[in-house]
Amino acid sequence: MMELSLNRVDYLQVGVTCPRTMRLLPEKKAKAPQKVAVADQTGVIQCFNIKKGEAVSAFKTLPGPKISRLELGGTLGSLADKVFAACGSEIKGFTKKGKQFLGFDTNLTESIKTMWVCGSHLFLGGNYIFNHYLDCKDENYYLCSDRINDILCLPLTRVKEVTPVLACQDRVLRVIEGSNLLYEVEVAGPPQSLSLFADEGGEEGEDVLYGTSDGKVGLVQLNRISPSHKWEIPNEKRSGGVLCMDNYDITADGISDLLIGRDDGLVEVYGYNDADEPILRYSTTLSESVSSIQGGVVNSSGFDEVIACTYAGWIQGLTTEPSYKEAGPGEKVQVSDDTQGKISHLKSELESLQSKVMQEREKYHYQAMNTKAISAVPQFNINDRFSLNRDDASYTLSIEVQVAIDNILLQSDVPIDLLDTEKNTAVVSYSACDTENGNFLLATYRCQANTTRLELKIRSIEGQYGTLQAYITPRLQPKTCQLRQYQIKPLSLHQRTHMLDDSRPMNQLKLTGQFSLAEIHSWVSYCLPEIPERTPPGDSINFHFLSTFLDTQLDCLYKKGEGVFRSDNISTISILKDVLSKEATKRKINLNISYDLADESVANTLRRIHPKLEYQLLLAKKVQLVDALKELQIHEGDLEFMSPEYRQILEEADTLQQEYKKQPCHLERLYGMITDLFIDKFKFKGSNVKTKVPQLLEVLDNYELENLIGFFEAGGV
Amino acid sequence: MLVPIFTLKLNHKINPRMVTIGKYDGKHPNLTAATTAGKVFVHNPHTRAVRGGRASEIAVDSDISLLNINQKISAICAGSLDSMGVNDILMVGTQTNLLAYDVQNNTDIFYKDAPDGVNAVVMGKLGTINTPLAITGGNCALSGFDIEGNDLFWTVTGDNVCSLALCQFSGDGRNQLVVGSEDYDIRVFQEDEIIAEMTETEAITALCPMTDARFGYALANGTVGVYEKNSRYWRIKSKNQAVTIDSFDLDADGVPELITGWSNGKIDARSDRTGEVVFRDNLSSAIAGIVQGDYRMDGNMELICCSNEGEVRGYLPANQEQKGNLMDTNIEQETIRDLSQRKQNLILEIKNYEENAKAGKDERPSGLGDLDKAQMGIIPANTQLQTTLTVNSGAENSAPHVELTVNTSNDTVLKSVLIFAEGIFEGESHVIHPNTPSLSNSLKVPIVPPKDIPVDLHIKAFVGTKSSMQFHVFEVTRQLPRFSMYVPCTDQVPEPKSSVVFTINERIQRVVLWINQNFLVDEDIAAETPLNVGFLSLRGSGPIFIQMQANGQITIRTDDMDLAGDLIQALASFLGIDDLQVVADYPMHMEDLKNLLVKVDEFHSVRQKLTAEMADHSNLIRSLVVRAEDARLMSDMRNMRRGYMELFDLNRDLVNGYKIRCSNHQELLNCLKLVNQTIQKAGQLRVGKFKTMVVSSCRQAIKENNISALFKIIKTGTS
Repeated sequence: MMELSLNRVDYLQVGVTCPRTMRLLPEKKAKAPQKVAVADQTGVIQCFNIKKGEAVSAFKTLPGPKISRLELGGTLGSLADKVFAACGSEIKGFTKKGKQFLGFDTNLTESIKTMWVCGSHLFLGGNYIFNHYLDCKDENYYLCSDRINDILCLPLTRVKEVTPVLACQDRVLRVIEGSNLLYEVEVAGPPQSLSLFADEGGEEGEDVLYGTSDGKVGLVQLNRISPSHKWEIPNEKRSGGVLCMDNYDITADGISDLLIGRDDGLVEVYGYNDADEPILRYSTTLSESVSSIQGGVVNSSGFDEVIACTYAGWIQGLTTEPSYKEAGPGEKVQVSDDTQGKISHLKSELESLQSKVMQEREKYHYQAMNTKAISAVPQFNINDRFSLNRDDASYTLSIEVQVAIDNILLQSDVPIDLLDTEKNTAVVSYSACDTENGNFLLATYRCQANTTRLELKIRSIEGQYGTLQAYITPRLQPKTCQLRQYQIKPLSLHQRTHMLDDSRPMNQLKLTGQFSLAEIHSWVSYCLPEIPERTPPGDSINFHFLSTFLDTQLDCLYKKGEGVFRSDNISTISILKDVLSKEATKRKINLNISYDLADESVANTLRRIHPKLEYQLLLAKKVQLVDALKELQIHEGDLEFMSPEYRQILEEADTLQQEYKKQPCHLERLYGMITDLFIDKFKFKGSNVKTKVPQLLEVLDNYELENLIGFFEAGGV
Repeated sequence: MLVPIFTLKLNHKINPRMVTIGKYDGKHPNLTAATTAGKVFVHNPHTRAVRGGRASEIAVDSDISLLNINQKISAICAGSLDSMGVNDILMVGTQTNLLAYDVQNNTDIFYKDAPDGVNAVVMGKLGTINTPLAITGGNCALSGFDIEGNDLFWTVTGDNVCSLALCQFSGDGRNQLVVGSEDYDIRVFQEDEIIAEMTETEAITALCPMTDARFGYALANGTVGVYEKNSRYWRIKSKNQAVTIDSFDLDADGVPELITGWSNGKIDARSDRTGEVVFRDNLSSAIAGIVQGDYRMDGNMELICCSNEGEVRGYLPANQEQKGNLMDTNIEQETIRDLSQRKQNLILEIKNYEENAKAGKDERPSGLGDLDKAQMGIIPANTQLQTTLTVNSGAENSAPHVELTVNTSNDTVLKSVLIFAEGIFEGESHVIHPNTPSLSNSLKVPIVPPKDIPVDLHIKAFVGTKSSMQFHVFEVTRQLPRFSMYVPCTDQVPEPKSSVVFTINERIQRVVLWINQNFLVDEDIAAETPLNVGFLSLRGSGPIFIQMQANGQITIRTDDMDLAGDLIQALASFLGIDDLQVVADYPMHMEDLKNLLVKVDEFHSVRQKLTAEMADHSNLIRSLVVRAEDARLMSDMRNMRRGYMELFDLNRDLVNGYKIRCSNHQELLNCLKLVNQTIQKAGQLRVGKFKTMVVSSCRQAIKENNISALFKIIKTGTS
C-alpha cells in the first residue's frame, strides 16, 4: 500500500474560528485551484485563493457578531458555490463574488449553532430547537430533549423524503420526519459531527458518518424503517474528539478517503480496504484543535491537499505537492523569492506594529497616573472541554487559547488526582494545600513557549463533589488571567445510557414532597453529568445511567412531587440520598424519603466487580514478578525449568507492564469502592462499621469472592 | 531528517547512567553496561569474547559476555590508565569497592576498598598529575587512583557526589575536575583546590565537558543547561528527567551539541549556544546512557544511545547536504509561521489597548455596571501592587518564617498569588488561594528557605473584584536576601561558645553595607566603631554576633560552623578577598569530632572481628558439608540430618552476622561522612589557598592518625 506523504503549508491566519466554518468553493474544472471561504468569531467572512503562495482575497466582509457555521449551497443540480453563514439568529448568503443575496432573520429565540443547506431547504439547529425552512418559510419544528450538536439532511437528489438527522448530546442520532421523530439510533459516544458518507451518502444516499466527542467515528445507514450500524473506529489511542470530517480521494485510488480533524490537533486520513473497512493511512498533529477540514486543490493546480482550519484561525494545507527541498540531493536549498518577499513583507509589518504597540503601551502606563481612569482588558477566547472518558473512568480537561499560554493554576475544593498525560509538555508543580481554606489541590502548569493547548487528566471520587477552577494566563500584554470553573458532580463517574438491565436486583430511593419538576430536575442535574440544563418537555422524565467504573446502573424517573431512583449499587443510592436531601433542605422543601433495599443487590454488585478485581489482582501479581523472572532469565539463559505460567508472564512482560501503566491505581480505586459499598450497606441499616474497614482490607488482600460476600453478609468476620 | 544508522536489541536491561564504551583490546570498541543482579555486560560484535574467570558467555546471544560483580553496581567507566598502553580498562564501582578490570585478559588489575562508596567514576588526566587517573566520587569524598591502585589524589567536597566530569575549565591546557553533588552545588577542582563554585537548584545528576571551558549539566528536577566557566549560558526545564547528557557534533558544524537522554525515551540535541533543539528522536523506553564510538569500525564516530530495555541506536553526524537541518522542517514555513504568530500577538495587544480606551470613554457617571466589572475584571488604572519582606519569629501555632506581604493599593482584591522560585518550595511554585469569603486586598505568604541562598521570587498576583471571572496579573520579582532567616537580637541571649576571628583590611562601613544587603533588617544598621551586631537564627541554631574593631579584626560568634563558613565565604566574595586565614574556636565540634573518631575506630575493629568470624564460619561450613555428604554416602541418615541441621544453624548465624556487618558498615559510612563534612566545614571557614591547605593537612593528619594535629589544623589552619 502506498505511503501517503503530505507536506504542510501555512496559508493565512484569520481570527478564532468555530468548528466547521471553512469550506472550499467548488470549481467546474477538475483539479483546478479552489477558493477558500472562511468565517471567524469576529464576524468576518473572507474568501480567497492562493496565487504564488500568497493569499489573494476575493471578498471580505466587515466584522460583526461571531459566525458559528459556514456552509455552501446552490440550486439542486448546479454547483454549490453560494456561501451561507450563521451568526446569532441570522442567516447570510453570499455569492462567490461576495455579493450578499440573502439576509434572513429567523427570529429564533436561541442563537443558531448548526446549519445544513440543501437546495432551497434550510435546516437550522439551536441548542435544543430544530427548524426546517423552505425558501425561508418555516416548514417544520422539533424540540429536542438534549443539546443538538450537528444536523444534516440526507441528499434530496437521492432520497425523496426530506430526512433530517440530528446528532444529540445524549448519544443518539435522531431521525426526523416532518415535525416528528421517526426513530433514534444510539451511537458509541456523544456525536459531535456528522457527514454524508462519500459525500453523496453511499449507494442509497442513506449512509451517515458520525464522529463523537470521545474520539470515535462510525458509519450508520439510516433508511426509512430502521438504522443499521456498518462499522465503528474505536479510539484506542485516546485521541481527541472529532470536530470535523470530510470525504476526499487524497490517496488517488478512486475511492473517497475519510479525513478527520480532532480537537487535540490530530488530522487523520482513512482509506478503505476491500471489505470497505476504514484503515488509517496518514496522521499528523497540528498544534491546535482542527475546527474544519476539507480535501481539495488550493495551492497549485493538479495537486490534491487536505485543507485544515485550526481554532486560532490558521488555514493550513497538507499537500501532495512535493516541497522543492526534496528536489535533489546536493542541490542548494534556496529560499524562493516568493517566500522571501513574504517574509520581508511580514517583517516590515511587524516593525510598524511594534512601534504602534510601544506607543499604546506608554499611553496605557501613563494612564496609571490618572486616579479616575480604569483598566479594562477584553476577555480572550478560551476553548475548553471537561469530559468523562468511559475507558478509564477519568476526566479529560482540555484548554486551548488563541495565543500561547504562560501558565495555568488549577485549584479544587475536593480531593482529586491529577494524572500526567504524555501529550503535554508543561512543567507541573504541586503546591502545599491548606484544606481549611478549601484548597484540596493547588497545582501550577508552566507551559513551554508556543503551547496554545493543554490537556490534563483528572480522577474524581464519587460522593466527593465540588468545583475545579482553572486560572488561565496567556502570554499577552497587558497580562490578564481568566477563571474557568468545572463542576465535579457527586456521581461524577456516571454516564448516560439508553439501555437498562432489568434483571438485576435494584435498590430504590423514593422522594416525595412539594417540589416542581424543574426543581427536581435541577437537583438531579446537580448530581449527575450529561443531563440537559433545561427541563426536557413532558410530565415525567426518565434517564438511565451507567457507572463507567463499576458498570452498575442507575435509573432516574421523576415528575412533579415525586422522584424514584433505582440502582443495583447501594453506594450510588446513598450518595443520591445525601445530596438530594441536602439540596432540598437548602431550598427549605420538606422531603419524604423512603427506601426499598434489595439485600441480594450487594452480593450481585460484588459478583459484578469480581472479574475486574480478579483481573487487576492477577495483573498486579504478574507485574510484580516480571523483574524477578527477567533476572532469572539472565542468570540461567535456558527457561525450560520454569513453569509454563512463569514462561508466559515473561513472554507477555511488555504488554502486562503497559496494561498496568495504563490504569494506575485501578486496584486502589476498586478497593475504595468496595469499602464504600460495605460502609453504605450498613449505614442504611443504621450501624457504623468504619472500625471494621481494616478487617475488610485484610479480606480483600487475600481475595476470594465467596469470603468477601460472606464478610459483607456477616458485617465483619 | 537524520535516521539511525544502526539499531540493536540487546535484550538486557541497562541501569541508568551506567553505560560506557571501551577498546579493551586496543582496537575494537565494545559497548559495556551494568545490568540487573550485579552484572556488567560487554557487547562485543567484533571478536569472540574470552571465557572463564568473571566472564561467562551466554549461549543465546554470543556477542554478549557477562561479568559477575556480585554487588550492586553504582558506576562504571572504561578508559586508559596506562600512559603508554592502548588497551582500555574497565572500572566498576560499587557501594564499597572499586574494581579495575582488564577485560581482554580477564584479570583484576586492582580491587580497592572504597569506604565512601563510588557514585561516579571518570578517567583521564587531572591537572599536573602525570599519569592518568580513575577518579571516583563518593560520599563527600573524591579520590583518584593510578594503574597501580595508589591514590594520588584525595579531597573532600560538600556533600555526596552525584556526577563528575573532566573539563578544561581554566583554559591552561590541563584538565580540571567538575563535581556535582547533592547539595545543589557544582564545584570545580584544580587538583585539590576549589577554583569555582556554582549553586544550582537541585542535585546535579549529570555533567559533561563540551568545548574549552564549556560544560553541560543536568539536574534531578528535569533541568539541563550549559555553563561557560562560572556563568550559565542557557538552561531549559522539562517535566521529564534528564538521565544522561553528552556532547557530540551531530549537525557537523564543528561545534558539539548537548545531547540529552530523557526519562521518557526522548533524545534531543541542543545547540550549545542557545539551547535550541536541532534534532530529536524517541526510543521506546527511558534512556539509560549515551556514548560515542566508531562502532561500525569504518572510521566515523557515531553517537550511540541506549535505553533501559536494551535498545541501542547509533547516529552518524549529518552530511553536508543537510546543512545542519536535521529535522523534517521547512525553515521558511517556520519563519513565516513565527512571524505571523508575532503579528497576531501584537494585533491582539493593540486590540486590548483600544478596547481599554473605549471602556474608559464609555464609563458613565454612575460607573460601570456590576456585570461589566465582573466580566472584564475592571480595576482602577492606578492600582499598584506592593510587596514587603519581613521576618516573623513565629508564634505558638506557627513556625518562624520569612513573611512576604502582598497588597494592592486600593480596595481591589487579590484572588490568588503565585510565587515561582527555585529551591525553596517543594515544587517550583507556591500558590496562595484564599477562599472566597476571606478575599481581601492583602495576603501574607510564609516562606521558609531551607538554605542560606539568595533567591529570586517571581510573584504573580491575580487582582480583580470579588466576583470577577477575569483578573489582571501583576508580575513582580523580589529578591530574598541570602541570610533571610535571621532576626536582629540584643545582647540578652546566651553567648555562643564558639567563634571565628580574622582580620581584614576594610572599613567598617563596607561590612555594614554587606550586612544590610544580606540580612532582612527593618532599618539599616548604622556603622559605628566598634561594630557589634547580633542576629538570632530562626532555624534554631542559636544567636550570631558579628563584631568588628577599628583595626579590622572581625569576630563571628556562632555555634553553627556551617553558618560561619557561609558568612565568611559571602563576605569574602563581597569584599573581593582572595585569601583569608582565620582562627576558629569550636570546642563543641572538636568534642564531637573526637567522639566520632573513637567511634570510627570501634567500627573498624568490629568489622575486622566480624570478618574473622566469617572466615571461621566458612571453614566450619566446608567441613560440615563434607561430613554431611560423607554420612549421606554411608547412608548414615541420622548423622547426615544432624550435619545439615548444624549447617542450617550456622547459615543462620552467618546471615545474622552479615546483617550486623551491614548495619555496622552503614554506621561507619555515616561517621566517615561526618568526619569528611567537618573537614569541609573547616575549609569553608578559610578562603583561597588557606582553604586548600586546611583540607590537605587534615587529610594528612587523619592518614597519620594524629588527632591532636587535626584539632590544631582545624583551629589555626596550619599544622
